[in-house]
Amino acid sequence: MTDVMHSFDLFAPASIEEAAKLLDKHGKEAWIVAGGKDSFDWFKDRVKRPSAVIDITGLKQLHGVSDKGNYISIGALSTLSEIEDSSLLKKNFPLLVEAAGRVASPQIRNSGTLGGNVAQDTRCSYYRDGFPCYRAGGNTCYANTPTAMNREHALFEASRCVAVTPSDTGPALVALEADMVIARDGKTRTVSAEKFFIGPATDITRMTVLEKGDILTEVRVPKKWAGAKQYFEKVADRETWDFALVNVAMVAKVSGGKVSDVRMACGGVQCTPRRLSNVESLMKGEKVGAEMETLAKRVAARGAKALNYNHFKIPLMGNLAARAVRSLA
Amino acid sequence: MDMSENWKEDVAESEEFDFPPDPADDFEWVPATKEVAGNMPDLPLETWQSPSTSRREFLRGVVCSGVAVSAASYLWAGNSSEARAAVRGVERLVTLNINGKNRRVDVAPNETLAHTLRYKLGLTGTKIGCNRAECGACTVLADNTTIYSCSTLTHQSRGKKITSVEGVAAPDGTLHPIQQAFIDELGPQCGFCTPGQVVAAVGLLKKNPKPTEDEARRALSGNLCRCGAYDHYLKGVMRASGRA
Amino acid sequence: MDFKLVGKNFTPPDIHAKVTGKAKYAEDFRADGMVFIKTYPSPMPHAEVKSIDVSKAKKMPGVVGVLLPSEVKQPKDAGHAILTSYPVFVGQPILAIAAMTEQQAEDAIEAVKVDLKPLPFCIDPLDSLKPGGPNANKGGNVANRRKIKLQEIKWSGKDFALAGNDQMPMGKEAFGWSFGDIDAGFKNAKVVVEKSFVSAANAHHALEPRSAAAYWSNGKCTVWGSTQSSSFAVPSLAKYIGISPAKLNFVSEYCGGGFGGKAYSYPLMALPALMSKKLNGRPVMMRVSRADEFFNGSARAGFQGWVKMGFDAKGRVLALDSYVVQDNGSTTGFWDFQNFGMASSVILQPKAMRFRGVPVLTNTPPKGAQRGPGENQTANILEPLLDDAARQLKMDRLALRLVNTPGGGQGGKIGPKQAPLTSAYLKEGLEQAAEKFGYADRVKKTGKQANGKIRSIGIGQAYHAAGYNGWDGMVRITPDGKLHVHTGVGNLGTYSYASTSRVAAEVLGYDWNNVIIERGGTLKAMPFNIGQFGSNTSFTMTRTNYAAGMAAKQKLLEIGANMMGGKADDYKLDNEKVIAKKGGKSITFAQAAKKAIELGGKYDGHELDKDLKGLTKLAAKQIVGTGLIAAAKDKIPKKGVVPALAAAFIEIELDPETGKVEVLDYMGIADVGQVLHPQGLDAQIRGAAVMGFGLAATERYVYDPAYGKPNNKSLYQSKPPTYLDVPAKLGSLAVTGATDPQNPVGAKGVGEPIQGAASSAYLSAVSDALGGHLFNRVPVVADMIVNAMSKQPQSHKPLQTNCQ
Repeated sequence: MTDVMHSFDLFAPASIEEAAKLLDKHGKEAWIVAGGKDSFDWFKDRVKRPSAVIDITGLKQLHGVSDKGNYISIGALSTLSEIEDSSLLKKNFPLLVEAAGRVASPQIRNSGTLGGNVAQDTRCSYYRDGFPCYRAGGNTCYANTPTAMNREHALFEASRCVAVTPSDTGPALVALEADMVIARDGKTRTVSAEKFFIGPATDITRMTVLEKGDILTEVRVPKKWAGAKQYFEKVADRETWDFALVNVAMVAKVSGGKVSDVRMACGGVQCTPRRLSNVESLMKGEKVGAEMETLAKRVAARGAKALNYNHFKIPLMGNLAARAVRSLA
Repeated sequence: MDMSENWKEDVAESEEFDFPPDPADDFEWVPATKEVAGNMPDLPLETWQSPSTSRREFLRGVVCSGVAVSAASYLWAGNSSEARAAVRGVERLVTLNINGKNRRVDVAPNETLAHTLRYKLGLTGTKIGCNRAECGACTVLADNTTIYSCSTLTHQSRGKKITSVEGVAAPDGTLHPIQQAFIDELGPQCGFCTPGQVVAAVGLLKKNPKPTEDEARRALSGNLCRCGAYDHYLKGVMRASGRA
Repeated sequence: MDFKLVGKNFTPPDIHAKVTGKAKYAEDFRADGMVFIKTYPSPMPHAEVKSIDVSKAKKMPGVVGVLLPSEVKQPKDAGHAILTSYPVFVGQPILAIAAMTEQQAEDAIEAVKVDLKPLPFCIDPLDSLKPGGPNANKGGNVANRRKIKLQEIKWSGKDFALAGNDQMPMGKEAFGWSFGDIDAGFKNAKVVVEKSFVSAANAHHALEPRSAAAYWSNGKCTVWGSTQSSSFAVPSLAKYIGISPAKLNFVSEYCGGGFGGKAYSYPLMALPALMSKKLNGRPVMMRVSRADEFFNGSARAGFQGWVKMGFDAKGRVLALDSYVVQDNGSTTGFWDFQNFGMASSVILQPKAMRFRGVPVLTNTPPKGAQRGPGENQTANILEPLLDDAARQLKMDRLALRLVNTPGGGQGGKIGPKQAPLTSAYLKEGLEQAAEKFGYADRVKKTGKQANGKIRSIGIGQAYHAAGYNGWDGMVRITPDGKLHVHTGVGNLGTYSYASTSRVAAEVLGYDWNNVIIERGGTLKAMPFNIGQFGSNTSFTMTRTNYAAGMAAKQKLLEIGANMMGGKADDYKLDNEKVIAKKGGKSITFAQAAKKAIELGGKYDGHELDKDLKGLTKLAAKQIVGTGLIAAAKDKIPKKGVVPALAAAFIEIELDPETGKVEVLDYMGIADVGQVLHPQGLDAQIRGAAVMGFGLAATERYVYDPAYGKPNNKSLYQSKPPTYLDVPAKLGSLAVTGATDPQNPVGAKGVGEPIQGAASSAYLSAVSDALGGHLFNRVPVVADMIVNAMSKQPQSHKPLQTNCQ
């Protein structure tokens, strides 16, 4: 089977304006790469074969972590290693630092970017292997047949497609109420992390709001949760180079033993990072302790619809939610 | 050649014995329906190689034939400004800094750094184990940071100092302390992952000359070893860092 | 014994090249004008090729050649075809295209049109055994390379009904044996343990894919290939290519991992040579992708089985009954299932036993030997069941093992005829490792810890046959006085090619610095040695090198007598000289080598022993007249089966909320008789443990049964352990006081059971952490633990295989 990329033209724009021009010129044939860790696999598989590849790693203004007062700005091209090493982020958002540090392997974190980590495509093996599924423009889901192997697939929000988000930083950014800045045609728009990720009911061919022509330029993490209690945990088969079976990200403010505010999200359970609203609402105003743990565990996966091989994610979600609560004690 | 010797008799003193597979009659054969490649007469003395084919011509042949059709217009272009790259695509002829030396190479837009190193520059120490950024056998340093060269476009390495396993030892051949320590601790088994392990460990010591054992195993964790020699490699890193 | 070289550490001669990147693996060779091939892989698990259209591909830029299945003489075994018009697994190569660049070859492959007629396929062996179930091959559904011809076996509906729900059905077997009275054994047993089980198939995934390259020149074919076994690969590779072994120049200096999957040659290795022949000898390189390595790179056979064991009050196994259905893959496969019988008969030394089995073809990649093929699956199933018996008998788990396991040197038995084991010290191994590990203290500290995790201890044991005899050794002393040990054994990465060569140097009293190992290709004049597989090298090759060393010694003494008068017996060897026992007159080995050339005949390779193998004689011809040449067949007596034996202790912490298992500490011990290379043995024991943890915890085949699609081709999906999945330090020991009397230096091999000991210890510990819960399934993946802890059913059906 192939592992040699198809032929394409490679462009290395030096500014966002130039990149925008290229995107406009090449339309549907344009494909943005940064670290390229997701893209090159698609190209080697020859499942995706854009003719114009635009390498944006030269856009220096999209690199770096800086304090902007109300928020911390992270350039979309900042590598995951830069996030791991950022003292600013370590101090304010250890949750994001931990999540970035659990992505794949050191080499991938050294070239893989935050933008790439949130924009990456799903790992559904049927889709990746080029099966003509809904997400690929077909009219079947091969991962949700009576005999399909779908251990890694979705518990919630399945709509024809049962793929899940593979991102570790995604749930962290959703918990942190981050905003994603997107450039297009010389203009920018801002979308909350929670709305940045989209499910199959919204558009089955995409994992995020990004459309052809969009460039994710920046992630803004508001200071709202700086200094709050933060928790991240990822459960995967291997401790390196693996995608989460389930991961959990939580931010919480606790005063006098009671939770005043909290946000919690899980990855690996649906197409987008899933807010655990049930858990959040039972925690708010309540005392941290054994009862909260028990209740969090009970409601975390409520509404889950298991497939053939993934019902283990139901107790696993509950356990991870309970552990997040436990971390507040 | 007499291949009928029955060595199985030599070892058949007990039915309980696991016979090794016989390499010569392990399979039955069916003939090919057309010309049977295996039964072709011996090759004529004149082979495909014309005497005039020199190594230099061969190399040029490969470089030229690497031209992808859609990118042909960029071949051998003289102007290398970034603005041009933005509008018309990257230059194919690039200067790479490999192991401290500048090398001019013709590079296709879709070419990976591992491919350039191995097939254009003859640096075959960098291995391709998976070609998917999963195993680490292709690890090189880019400005002292470890990357998977199999999943990095060569064009993305322009302007960076690339170090492959061939550039780790001193110019006089003196081994890097990591290399010596891997020998002393019998790190390599099959050796296929070893160049990547060496480069990852060298990269670690550049950033953190006195790592803890835990820091070391995290730094090397992007390098698979199917022989499972992690223990020995880690001992090598600790020995090289003076903490053995 | 007192040795100068054996049992001492040394720097293997090839390790420098490994750390500098100079070591050349198959894909590292280049030649002028080299072209590149890619293959067209079958997209279907079982199909017939109706037509192939390469007209468009042939016109693609850079294309220089196309090779079709009809042009190649093929092995009859469908799964072993070099190129096939009858694919029996997804990914099987149908045709090959050569082009100036890899990409051009790949682009051309995309332009090929192959019309395939899909055939019914089989992923689960039990499906194939059902009445009317699919056959994975037109010729039948049952076959095995060892003793079983391709045939059809179907079980009756009654066979399946008799088994009961989720219990192993047991219809007609294809192979079986028994000894003793098992009915009486079970009748007299105090405790009987009886379980159905599943052991998953898993890919070898050696880090070096099986790339190869070749060219022809003057009627000779040169192949650069990746194999564990240098000389053993030659005749079969020559056969694939269709030439005499004498016409094959084979280069295999390094092998980037094999684990049984590159035991010797394999169909794909011949493809560049066949393409090159079509291109009039032009060099052809085939870089194999990771996915193609998954498809063509072999895998461990899966098991669906049943075992019943009866124990007396002291824990002794009175009777053992067993049945194994093997997922044989798409070829005649390997005899893993038969090794279930052998391994359990060795480890438990039962008083009575029966084994039955049937190897069933499936439309999955060809299965081959993988480190402890069958024996390690057996260990993984049996060890947790031994714990179960111990719990029921209220015995200590170690004590129960000590009651059964073979030890004390001689007396151990194997198989239906209860043939003798040459030496066994596994009981001593368990005792010595338990002491070093602190087993008695550690078991007291098991159970739920303050961190919420459950700590537990596991014990594992495993066996593999470990040595052959009757092979050839060859050494040469050149006029510069150097000893050249010629070896064809291969370079798998264990350094045993070197540690066994040192025996020849030991016999002749050589300084190691004056010894050169000649290896890595036919140009190095390799004697015909058995391959580097089956844990046999240490035993087999010490014997051949001992035989060659002794033959050289005799020749040296005779030359001494020739040059200095008297009889050979009047001389001895010392300090690389032939010295008269009386008077001290001497000649150097260098002088003796010169004299050997002058004398010719049997001294310089002109006359060879008649009982040498053909390829050894051929090799000797390559170096004839270049020094004192001693080629000798190993005729040292041997009776019985050489057992490689290993045991292990492990301490884990299991997280009941996430299903994650952390190995806290590990101690592996090997009964290798005399240790040849202590550091090498440590590396083997520890590395095998890492591979064992993968076998026990994460690695398995996953196939979609509706499409026959493999869901985990890649490494991240196949999940071999990483640095962070194993402890930074692993313990390793050799049994002290052990020696094998049938080996001239007391050595035997151990490469395989050290993995099974680790994997079975891991599974024993997981079961113990869960209060004796038995999964009866390998691997035990995190989700299975989460399900067990949450008291919800498992996702898979009890006997389901190739699933998640």
